[in-house]
Amino acid sequence: MTVPSVPVTRPGAGVPAIETVHLKKYYGKSRGIEDISLRVEQGEIFGFIGPNGAGKSTTIRTLLNFIFPTAGSARVLGHDIVSESREIREKVGYLSGETGYYDELTVDQLVDYTARFYSTDCRRRGAELVDILEIDRKKPIHSLSLGNKRKVSVVLALMHRPRLLILDEPTAGLDPLMQTRLFDVLREENERGTTVFFSSHVLSEVQKLCHRVAIIKEGLILKVEEIEKLRESQLRKVRITFRDERQAVVNLPGAAEEERDGRSVRLLYGGDINDLVRHLAGRELESLWVEEPTLEEVFLHYYEAGGRTGEDSASGRAAAVPTARSGKEER
Amino acid sequence: MNIFLRELRTGRRSLLVWALVIAGLNVLIMAVYPSFAADAARLEELMAMLPEGFAKAFGLDRLSMADPLGFYATESYLIVVLFGGIYAAILGASILAKEEDEKTIEYLLALPVTRNGVLTSKVLAIVANLALFNLIVAAATYLSFVGFVTRDYSTATLLLLLAAPFLLYLTFAALCFFLSLFWTRRRAAYSISIGLVVGTYFLNVIALLTEDLRWLGWLSPFKYVDAADIVVEQSLNGLYVLILLATAAVAVAATYLLYGRRDITI
Repeated sequence: MTVPSVPVTRPGAGVPAIETVHLKKYYGKSRGIEDISLRVEQGEIFGFIGPNGAGKSTTIRTLLNFIFPTAGSARVLGHDIVSESREIREKVGYLSGETGYYDELTVDQLVDYTARFYSTDCRRRGAELVDILEIDRKKPIHSLSLGNKRKVSVVLALMHRPRLLILDEPTAGLDPLMQTRLFDVLREENERGTTVFFSSHVLSEVQKLCHRVAIIKEGLILKVEEIEKLRESQLRKVRITFRDERQAVVNLPGAAEEERDGRSVRLLYGGDINDLVRHLAGRELESLWVEEPTLEEVFLHYYEAGGRTGEDSASGRAAAVPTARSGKEER
Repeated sequence: MNIFLRELRTGRRSLLVWALVIAGLNVLIMAVYPSFAADAARLEELMAMLPEGFAKAFGLDRLSMADPLGFYATESYLIVVLFGGIYAAILGASILAKEEDEKTIEYLLALPVTRNGVLTSKVLAIVANLALFNLIVAAATYLSFVGFVTRDYSTATLLLLLAAPFLLYLTFAALCFFLSLFWTRRRAAYSISIGLVVGTYFLNVIALLTEDLRWLGWLSPFKYVDAADIVVEQSLNGLYVLILLATAAVAVAATYLLYGRRDITI
């Protein structure tokens, strides 16, 4: 099992891009994150996935010192997140779908203003990115569409050639075309040696881009996994309605029956889709749905099957997850 | 420096509008002064008929409206300190809070800046804006004295009357700067700043009118820049200046302390 592309090393490499040690954040009594220990190496594209409210943004905001950790510590590119946040900000590009900008400025003005903060001259790179992304540079920010605004965010996050990109739900609200475009840019940046850390609640997104993913739920890292391994166990939600009730049986490795209602069968299928098609070939179907399961369903399936695939866990928690359903699966 | 310059740019329209309106009012009021002074004797008679409370609230128990400084102190000064105070309070309340209200704070804090650096730029921008504001109003007022007033007056005392509001502005701006840590919504910031200025103004009036509540005046920044005091004493009370500046300094220091460990969530 190899990571899709070999991480490029740069001078000053060696320290992890991100390293958190039992990071915990509570807002008063409400949980942000419970216990996050993560290590992201330089050169990686690292996906941080979990449902809304799992603590993705909290983790990211702690890394940038927008909020202070309740307990634990973290280093970004070797710098302490609390005492050396200025150094971190110099080397990190941050993008969040929720960030607002000075609305009255034009794209050019905003890029120019941003450039003034960095010690290196990054105006040229900024202008270059504005061109590549085809943003109308004379338009004021407030008149831009969501997609164009996000392009501006990308420019601002990349223009100072950061060593690490931290992106909080970068694709939220973007149409598929823009998403692909964004991923192309990120992949390119990564090939230059930039580490990319990004959060998402859409698994399929993460799969397209990442080398490794961490799955976070309720403030805890459930698992850190290479994406290849996740891909192997790629799950599909399958609903089949047969013509004949007597034929309504699916008996195939990797297929876990969820529900049966007369002629309809609902499955979570983790095997090769071709096997499933061949398996059904001889039978009369009325309809067939194949869809991507929600993240929740993946979690459930994944963790209940965690005993088999969970040897690469960074947090060590996955191994402790009960494997109650694995027997049923192998039926 | 970037943030400071940006604040000057974004603040200039509001600065000009407030400063020019108040400066203009001052000029208009001073333009009326010659006709008042011409009929000084009847004016004094009229003032003697004013209810005691009313006279006290406007300092007329100690000042003469026939006198140029007395006239300015009773007719114009209130407008300057009250509206200038509101301008200063709104400036202080919104300059930092707007970054959170408009969700630009994450953009700002993702830049290579420190929180203290951000605060320092904002504080300097407040001081610069207020200094310019005060300068515009003072210059217009001074020129209208030169232009309209033929009677004798002490230029030194006039300059004190023109400078004292600046101390008041600093205090209000600093207090609201601090308070804005707790109310980051723009609308709330406006109500709180206007409420604070108008509220403490009335506190001072009540203290002037009511013997038993005299101590309330100590809680009002207006007490420390009272025009009648300045005209009668022909000086600024050093203790009062100290109280204003110390209040402002404490408010700003507290803001640095709290902001340095504040969780910023948008």
